[in-house]
Amino acid sequence: MEPVAVSGFLTTTFESAAGELDDFDAVVRLHWPAVFRFTLASVRDPDAAQALTQDCFMNVWRGRGTFRGGSTVKTWIMRIAVNLVRDHARNRRLQFWKRTTARALDIQAAGERIPDEQLSAEARMLRSERIRAVWQVSGTLPEKQRTVFLLRFVEDMDLLEIAAAMGLKEGTVKVHLFRAVQSVRERLGGNE
Amino acid sequence: MSPHLSSREISEWVAGTRTPERENHLHECAECRGELTRLQGVLLEFRDSLRDWSAGQAGSSPRPVWLTEGPRGAHRLRWALVAVAMILLAAIPIYRSRERQRQADTSLEDAVLLEQIDAGVSRSVPAPMEPLAGLVSWDSTGSTASGRQSQQKK
Repeated sequence: MEPVAVSGFLTTTFESAAGELDDFDAVVRLHWPAVFRFTLASVRDPDAAQALTQDCFMNVWRGRGTFRGGSTVKTWIMRIAVNLVRDHARNRRLQFWKRTTARALDIQAAGERIPDEQLSAEARMLRSERIRAVWQVSGTLPEKQRTVFLLRFVEDMDLLEIAAAMGLKEGTVKVHLFRAVQSVRERLGGNE
Repeated sequence: MSPHLSSREISEWVAGTRTPERENHLHECAECRGELTRLQGVLLEFRDSLRDWSAGQAGSSPRPVWLTEGPRGAHRLRWALVAVAMILLAAIPIYRSRERQRQADTSLEDAVLLEQIDAGVSRSVPAPMEPLAGLVSWDSTGSTASGRQSQQKK
């Protein structure tokens, strides 16, 4: 492998990633739903999730000049979102009553929200129970486990992307993910 | 066939830790494959449900208010300019009022000064010499009263 060729390839890749930010409207349209979904699943408060998503893209806008394409734009944006959610969680520790109320409301909503399919009433009920169980468990996971779990199984990010978004090593991400999955399996009764 | 995968091994597999041995076992063992499929199915259900639920929430579609109104910095600058304009509008009448007062004071001072000058000009002798005016009288020849007094004594 020729170093020059590799260097040229990487430079081109980084430039192309950084160039994605030139069309900021397109970036917002493409990544907004994922950021909102992640923040909503993390903080479980639609108003807070919307505010965090706004803040996230505000930071993306402000920092777009510093992005050099060391990762994909999505990973970079999710890293900003992860940091905002973490800061939000720290601030909310002093407001326990608000968190409890919001979470209780959203568990119900998430469990009943089923995509349209031809399912029997019983199958729908069982499915709803499973989804609600996973939702409930993910809410009780420690912050890092929950973040890894959501990025992996809701946002479909691979381990390296998650590691980059959270500033962790891939092995650490695997450990957090393993523990989160174990917790889910225990709750679902699959840990015999 | 190797023994069934433990709960831990299935969780590790889902978490991304995979080995050729486990992969071979999953190919051969329908029971473990079923267990894994069930778990992955639940996670997919969770993902779909959460995506659908999130899409139904207000705020799920892009609504970057600050983007259509410009960056927050520009917004702040606009408010700062408005504030400056308001202060200027409030300051102009005050400034004008003070200016009028100053002009009135100056006119008064000028009038007083002119009066003083008129009074000074109209004096027959300068103010410091006024006490002597009663003692000294001036005639047309230029001799003084004190000179006459000395002649009378002689």
